[in-house]
Amino acid sequence: MNAGAALTLYVMGAVTVLVFLLAVTPLRGRWRRLPEIVGLAGVAATAGIAVAQWGERQVAFAGEIQIDRFSLLMTWIVMIAAAASILLAWGEPAAAGRRPEFTGLVLAAATGMMLTVMSGNLIILFIGIELLSVSLYILCAIEVTREGSLESGIKYLITGSIGTAILIYGFSLLYGVTGTTSLAGIAERLGTVDGLLDEPLLVAAIALIVVALGFKASAVPFHMWTPDVYQGAPTPVTALMSTGTKAAAMGAFLLLFTGATQQAAGDWRGLIGALAVATMVVGNVGALLQDNVKRMLAWSSVAQAGYLLIGVAVGTLAGAESLIYYLFAYVAMTLASFAIVILREREVEDGDRLVAFTGYGRARPWAGVVMTLALLSLAGFPPLAGFVGKFLLFGSAVDADMAWLAIVGAVASAVSVVYYLRVVITMWAPQPDGAAEPRRLQVPASVATVAVAGAVAVVGLAIWAQPLLDLCAGAARALIIP
Amino acid sequence: MPWVSITILIPLVASVALLLLPGAERRTARAVALIASLLTLASSIVVLVLFDRQLAALQQVDHLDWIPAAGMSWDVGVDGISIWLVMLTTVIFLLGTIAACQHLPEQRGPAFLGLIMLAQAGLLGLFTAGDLVLFYVFWEFMLIPFALLIWNWGGSDRRGAGMIFVVYTMVGSLLMLVAILATGILAMDATGQLSFLIRDLQGVAFGEATATVLLAGFLLAFAIKIPLWPFHGWLPRAYSQAPIVVTILLAAVMSKAGVYGLLRVGLPVFPEGVGNLIIPVAILALVGILYGSLLAWRAPTMRLLVGYSSLAHLGFIVLGIIVIDRMAAQGAVLQMINHGIVVAAAFAVVMLIARGTGTEDMDRLGGLAKGAPRLAVAFLFITMAALALPGSNAFVGEFFILGGVFQQYAWMAVIAMLGVVYAAVYMLRIYQSTMNGPVRGVRDDGRAAEMRGRDAIILVPLILMMLWIAVWPGSLVDYTTASTDAAVAPAQIAEARPVEQIGVTR
Repeated sequence: MNAGAALTLYVMGAVTVLVFLLAVTPLRGRWRRLPEIVGLAGVAATAGIAVAQWGERQVAFAGEIQIDRFSLLMTWIVMIAAAASILLAWGEPAAAGRRPEFTGLVLAAATGMMLTVMSGNLIILFIGIELLSVSLYILCAIEVTREGSLESGIKYLITGSIGTAILIYGFSLLYGVTGTTSLAGIAERLGTVDGLLDEPLLVAAIALIVVALGFKASAVPFHMWTPDVYQGAPTPVTALMSTGTKAAAMGAFLLLFTGATQQAAGDWRGLIGALAVATMVVGNVGALLQDNVKRMLAWSSVAQAGYLLIGVAVGTLAGAESLIYYLFAYVAMTLASFAIVILREREVEDGDRLVAFTGYGRARPWAGVVMTLALLSLAGFPPLAGFVGKFLLFGSAVDADMAWLAIVGAVASAVSVVYYLRVVITMWAPQPDGAAEPRRLQVPASVATVAVAGAVAVVGLAIWAQPLLDLCAGAARALIIP
Repeated sequence: MPWVSITILIPLVASVALLLLPGAERRTARAVALIASLLTLASSIVVLVLFDRQLAALQQVDHLDWIPAAGMSWDVGVDGISIWLVMLTTVIFLLGTIAACQHLPEQRGPAFLGLIMLAQAGLLGLFTAGDLVLFYVFWEFMLIPFALLIWNWGGSDRRGAGMIFVVYTMVGSLLMLVAILATGILAMDATGQLSFLIRDLQGVAFGEATATVLLAGFLLAFAIKIPLWPFHGWLPRAYSQAPIVVTILLAAVMSKAGVYGLLRVGLPVFPEGVGNLIIPVAILALVGILYGSLLAWRAPTMRLLVGYSSLAHLGFIVLGIIVIDRMAAQGAVLQMINHGIVVAAAFAVVMLIARGTGTEDMDRLGGLAKGAPRLAVAFLFITMAALALPGSNAFVGEFFILGGVFQQYAWMAVIAMLGVVYAAVYMLRIYQSTMNGPVRGVRDDGRAAEMRGRDAIILVPLILMMLWIAVWPGSLVDYTTASTDAAVAPAQIAEARPVEQIGVTR
């Protein structure tokens, strides 16, 4: 028992409370940005602690919180997503006057994500997922005067609650089968108790958990909410949902399947594989028809969830390692693309529509380059990070004798090229004759930072992939070593 | 010095510099592009000089680990098959850059040159890659600059043309990615070590069934890129919508990527699988020869005519490779170079005529020889080379191919021979309808289309190269023999061909 091991959680919890307190304090003038600064400082401190704690597993609260290479690396992803979300909302005109709550809620959601990936127990995992979900319900609806935002919030609330209900149902069945809520305990029981693996209830539990986590990760057929919610929510929130939530959901998948129920892999490999196939196909086809960039990115995030699920479906360490690497790549390219969308949204009304991007690359070349790199990487063009990630994921599928996953993934990627490149072409196309010069505002430094950092990471993570892959390999091993 | 890597990096660095230049800096852009192209050519000449003709294996290899855990590495070098393709790339891109500089697009000229440089880097990397993943990286990498060139500076239907080009290529190449992964992982089962180096994979026995499936995965990508009938759907639109300089580069250099892959990767790595695919692929190639020739005969514009003729000529090259015969493969390698030079020259003539007369439509042109005699002479020479008249450079290559094919499958040679006949029909058609007959569609007897000094800079080197190969093909074949023999030998052995046909002793 080492309660100090959970230091990151204490820091995040404390910072969240502090920011909420600041939210009710009238702050004027130079103190106006205090909540954001405190939030960013908290995120930075957490990330720093995560680096310092890197090493063998430590547990806190009798194993309910696990601090190991896996949870620390995932914490890093969550912290990147949270920091980016705060930066992207910095000075956002639409969120004026509600900024303090915004930062607080982002921090609360990030805490939930951390709790999810650090959990050593079904209950903690559930609390983590709930904490992140509830924070995001509010965040989606935070622009209370805009109908789209409210609609997004209510839709997310309803579908999210169904997911939650199914999740707790699945957990209770799993508890019923194994008699324990500890992840390590479940793994141990499944490995040692005879006949447990043939228990029909176990299959039911696994199916329900897959469905529920599928809701959170927006896997097909539980993805229906994604386009509407992503489009309606304020874009910084969308960025957080599509990166942080996705990472947390994938972390939960890995903990529960590759980790805890590894012994029952025969029961879930085909199921999750089928889910991955459906998600890749439907996500990519759905994205083809969109003429709103934010909505297109929502569908693309569905498709990307499909690629990520390959890493779970194969059930191997190589799969988990590739998945974690791809999460880093995915977070980088997604944040970069959302940053450019935010930039455009601030300049023109309906800036998330595809037509609003006509000629934007010519008007603002650096933004064009960032968006081009991000989208090419999402499409899996070499030598960018998205390519390396897909290469590793497809490789893990072939290695696990599930080459069909790789083939579907390859064909789906070919389809995805169409809609990603459509945006790229539009950005570099000339303005139609007679159109006014595209309106240009001074670029907010915070948004530009996220965009450029994302683009640099897209290139850098590909060229210097090996160091990160070593970390990912360590994280993947931590999943199954007791 | 790692000259091969330097040859790839020069255009890459130049392209970044050019893409960062503001659109107004046209003079600087021209200077940067020309100097970079010259340096690339110089660097490739160094590689050529250092080349050891006796060696069959990849030489002058630069190896650097990239992602060891995934078996990926930066591994480039040259062998007898790639050395002349590297030279072809650097020469044609230098000439293409000169042509592009002479008529730089009004809009964003520096970016135009930058993308051309980027395409050159991609192609050079492709032709030198010794690692399958790196091969794939460059395979995809070159697609982007070409697609952007079509999208931004192409004709009226540029969007559709570019999109079809990209989607066609991606479908094939992503399946190739899966095949590459499967190859590496299956090889790991045999060798215990994950490696995508082509030279490591050559020694692995995959078994006939597996090798056939894997080779088929690669073949689809190659067939689309070549293009092999019926995967040529992107070709007419891309060739006719791209800026003409880009069409030259596509037809002369990029079209060699697929056949190069077949000979460099397909045959040596999956020899057991080749036997099952000889007949199907040969039939597609033969259909392509006939189909391309017929379409070229009826094509309405000069550009489409040359484009379709390219489809037929690449059919010959594929045939020369897939019958796994030493002589035919030798001819195929030679013909890759020949076709590159001839098609570049033919498109350059089309470019001059189109510039001088404002149309590429053959029905609206005629009698240009009157006002443009020098161009007519050059064009006649190129026509003769394109229809492989005995004594021309292409004759040597086609003779090798047909001779080798005849030895293995006589009926294929008979059908392919029809293509040679057709070539005379369509090439004479384009020559006659534009150069001879009554003067049509032009003012001043078409003097505006006449070849001037600045145009001669582009055409004369190409014609000189044709002459050189026609007179002394041995100077090329000397370099290619060892590697080509080694590339087809495993497949010949797997097919139990007579020992005297196999050029390499085990």
